[in-house]
Amino acid sequence: MGGKITCTLGEVKNRADFIVYWGGNPAECHPRHFTKYTLTQKGRFVPEGRKGRTMVLVDIRETPSAKAADVFLQVRPGADFEVATSLRAIIKGQPVDEKSVAETGLTVERLQDLADRMKRARFGVIFFGMGLSMTRGKHMNSAAILMLAAEMNAFTKFVCMPMRGHGNVTGSDMVLRWTTGYPFGINLSRGYPRFNPGEFSTVDLLVRGDNDAALILGADPGATMPQPGIDHLARIPTIVLDPKVTHTSRLARVHITTAVTGISAPGTAYRMDEIPLPLRPALQSPYPTDEEVIRRIHRAVAAKPAWFPAPAARMAIA
Amino acid sequence: MLRITGGKVHDPANGIDGVVRDVCIADGRIVARAEGGRTIDASGMVVLPGGVDIHTHVAGAALNFARGMTPENFRRAVPFLRTPERRAGLGGITPTTFATGYLYAGMGWTTVNEAAVPILSARHTHEELRDIPIVDKTTCVLMANNEIVLDLLEAGELERAKHVVAWLIWAAKAYGVKAVNPGGIVAWKWGRNANTLSAPVEGYSKVTPATIISSLAGIIDELRLPHPLHIHGNNLGVPGNVSTTIETMKVLEGRRAHLAHLQFHAYGGDDWGSMRSEAAALAEQFNARKDLTADAGAVLFGDALTITADGPWQHLLYQLTGRKWGNVDVENETGCGIVPYVYKGSSLVNAVQWAAGLELLLLVEDPWRIFLTTDHPNGGCFWRYPELIRLLMSADHRRECLKQLPAKALKRIVLPELDRQYTRSEIAIITSAGPARALGLPQKGHLGVGADADVALYDEGRDGGLEFAYPRYVIKGGEIVVEEGEIRAVSEGREFIVRPSFDEQIEEYLRPLFQKVYTMSFDNYPVEMERLARPDVQACG
Amino acid sequence: MITLTLREQPPVPLEAEALSPDVMAALAHDAIRALPVYLGKRQQRVDDLFEVAGEASDELEIRGDAAKVKWIGRGMTRGRISIVGNAGMHLGAYMKGGTIEVSGNVSDWLGAEMSGGFIRVRGNAGGQVGAAYRGSLSGMQDGTILIGGSAGLEVGMRMKRGTIVVGGLARDFAGLQMKGGTIVLRGGAELRTGAWMVRGTIVSLTPIRLLPTFSYASTYNPTFLRLYARHLGTLGFAIPHEDREGAYRRYTGDSAVPGKGEILVWKPAGA
Repeated sequence: MGGKITCTLGEVKNRADFIVYWGGNPAECHPRHFTKYTLTQKGRFVPEGRKGRTMVLVDIRETPSAKAADVFLQVRPGADFEVATSLRAIIKGQPVDEKSVAETGLTVERLQDLADRMKRARFGVIFFGMGLSMTRGKHMNSAAILMLAAEMNAFTKFVCMPMRGHGNVTGSDMVLRWTTGYPFGINLSRGYPRFNPGEFSTVDLLVRGDNDAALILGADPGATMPQPGIDHLARIPTIVLDPKVTHTSRLARVHITTAVTGISAPGTAYRMDEIPLPLRPALQSPYPTDEEVIRRIHRAVAAKPAWFPAPAARMAIA
Repeated sequence: MLRITGGKVHDPANGIDGVVRDVCIADGRIVARAEGGRTIDASGMVVLPGGVDIHTHVAGAALNFARGMTPENFRRAVPFLRTPERRAGLGGITPTTFATGYLYAGMGWTTVNEAAVPILSARHTHEELRDIPIVDKTTCVLMANNEIVLDLLEAGELERAKHVVAWLIWAAKAYGVKAVNPGGIVAWKWGRNANTLSAPVEGYSKVTPATIISSLAGIIDELRLPHPLHIHGNNLGVPGNVSTTIETMKVLEGRRAHLAHLQFHAYGGDDWGSMRSEAAALAEQFNARKDLTADAGAVLFGDALTITADGPWQHLLYQLTGRKWGNVDVENETGCGIVPYVYKGSSLVNAVQWAAGLELLLLVEDPWRIFLTTDHPNGGCFWRYPELIRLLMSADHRRECLKQLPAKALKRIVLPELDRQYTRSEIAIITSAGPARALGLPQKGHLGVGADADVALYDEGRDGGLEFAYPRYVIKGGEIVVEEGEIRAVSEGREFIVRPSFDEQIEEYLRPLFQKVYTMSFDNYPVEMERLARPDVQACG
Repeated sequence: MITLTLREQPPVPLEAEALSPDVMAALAHDAIRALPVYLGKRQQRVDDLFEVAGEASDELEIRGDAAKVKWIGRGMTRGRISIVGNAGMHLGAYMKGGTIEVSGNVSDWLGAEMSGGFIRVRGNAGGQVGAAYRGSLSGMQDGTILIGGSAGLEVGMRMKRGTIVVGGLARDFAGLQMKGGTIVLRGGAELRTGAWMVRGTIVSLTPIRLLPTFSYASTYNPTFLRLYARHLGTLGFAIPHEDREGAYRRYTGDSAVPGKGEILVWKPAGA
């Protein structure tokens, strides 16, 4: 399993005539998406702009994004995996159970219609949001969309793209991948990178209480984690670097106010299509940047007795 | 200050073929004499200029995409533990940035050419290159499916196209120009390909792959870039593609060019069942064309990962193998496709591929024109180059390996008939002196006075080739970076770039066009010089 | 026999792949005590955390609440590990042979990517039993895993061969992308059982929710199941297989792939 068939946003702008938003509400969460990249732009190969595109919204409720949709498919909460899996079968002309499909809130007819429209597209794209990746099924919901888009390439040009959250999560993913090999959930305790979501990812570590200290930068787990995770953060020495005093700051041992990246601190942001954009600060800040603070902490740690892992720390390659 | 004494020096660029003599280093360069400083007693060792990899994929959006797709490869990779000198990292098929530098230096390679950079994400490539320690770098920026350039070619505006190409090279802070499947990636954006050199490219009526190739080669010659057009030809990997390769060479008549990973373009047969190696025929044509260079792109049995800008080829590989498949189309410019792959000695096709790479290396007469690569990680991992060296230096070893191949394969290849054995000096040419010359880097690939002090010392007298896996010393820019298998010092490598001349007015032309078809601000497009570590502008012409 | 008694729960997870018959079988007592284990980033000795008795044996007994002790029995090829208490993640991962018995509960990744051997857990297991690690093409290649209690998500994900029996309820995605082998769900499962399976057999003794991509094929008692029941019976697990008791409704899928897997759901006579 695995892989992703995707493109940069300009390809969507220039070519996409069939756009599906699944489990996301771009009108409110990615407010410039329609106008900059997907619907209203006159693309090189879609000169008619909006008239040359069909937009399908798939979600559990009718959000403001539905106003922009040509077709709205309301799925019962928690049924996205079943819908995407059924579509995978339908596009291949394989059987699906009518009653089972009906339990998703949609019908085989509607799914067949969607599949037909997808196949007739010149260039289709599915944008999938946290309504998929954060609900029951999690990464498997995302995988279902990835597989569907890949398999559609047997019929026509088809891609998909995740609607990433705020805070340059894509940038962090990119840099961690090139320096450690993995996008997140990385353990360096044995002196080299190891990866296992569910074991080393933040929510799991905190809820299990597997760590005995925490440095939180640009996130607010004290507001978003399950209660056992929040309780654990309060128990252990926690350090927060943030422009604001957050929920996490309030239960932390140390809070350091830092400048807002992108507004007062320079850097690079990676867009949801993994294209890097330089950030040029517009305003000054009295506070140090995250980078300055981390470097100072690093220098202070370097002044302590050196510690390095022993070669025995390598786990034998199984 | 450093003196290397008593070693057998192989410096083919300066006509030195295994002579015991001193090599003296001061201020990062080879000098005639050096007093004081350290002396390395190199008796029993051979001394070669540091390796130069003319075609590899080690940094940037496509490679990083591949990393994300293959956590299982990283689990099996040799880990690099954090030490006082070294950052943590992972080796394997798509090594992490720090590990990439350690692995190359650990082999005695000191310069690498990142062969495929999209302009839109060049900033990302340079950031990764910055994190690759020790080795010096060059980059080749993707151009043959750039729609702004193709539109100009369609309109017959060659002069303006030249200025745009020059501007784009400088915007990307690149060193050379890469053409991948000319016209094919444009077509792939609608799910199609460009299989015929003389047929108009999808969406165009005049532009054909042939016009793209000849126009770009001509533009690069006019811009006097140190490295000629670096081309991954149409129909890569497909049985019978040798005819496309020969046709491509004809299109390039009168022009310099570097043909990438030639092995993947050397096939006969009509389908996978009848596929055979046509390396012999290709080598014969290639031998006659003195203005062309090539790198082997040889295959080694074992795990690999195919990663190219050739979207349609990668989709085909996915359909053939059912393995993981990744694809990113980059607006207006190019794309990439990724399929992890395993080359098996028991597979007829893989056996033919394995033989074809070696056949090219053995049948191309002039080692100054054919270079040792595996198109890492496509044909095999770069840190396995010593295995290839062994296959080239020992006909006996080749014969042993041939015994493992399926009997059917032997009828499809000529390798069993080839007895040639590479000498150590010839190895120094195909791994260092030759690629340095082809890249147009006069300070690399040799040990004459004034050269960069990039030197590799190996034990003499081990099984021909195996010693290359374990350099005794590696010197980079005059500093001992590897000593007896240990990384001793970690320096920051340089990035060589070029600034071809262009009319500044071309920006007025580009700006509105760019805003229309791209999705970023024109002002954000060019890569800021600060992104590069130790940029070193090389002269054009 | 070598006995290792955990003095107290470690404050952070302890990685103890040294706790394996392959590692300890030839070692003298002092050498066993000095084996490295990893408490977070700190390398410790086995005897920093365990009381050690015995030496030079391929039979290990581990006593105590080792719920935070990970990688016990990693890659083992022989011998026996008996855990009197709980055990942590990755128990028996990459195992090739030998036996592991646990009186209590275990955590995620039990027997992950194993290729042989026998694991029995009396209590509950976590997720990813016998599964592939992220990105790997295949999970367990062979071997037997028996769980008395419940199990978590993705039981048998991408398994190729071998047997997994779960006594209690399994959570979502049991048999995800299965390529072969057998999973017996005595206590049924939550959602998405057999999702995207290619081949293999899932047997559920109670009704379960099936994906729309599974089709009813027939109702009967497959012959192989009789043999299977006999085998599992010797291991202490009863599965019904007599016509007078009832029969299995056979579903094929997952048509999304399309796959040739089967899910057999027990239907008692008269139900």
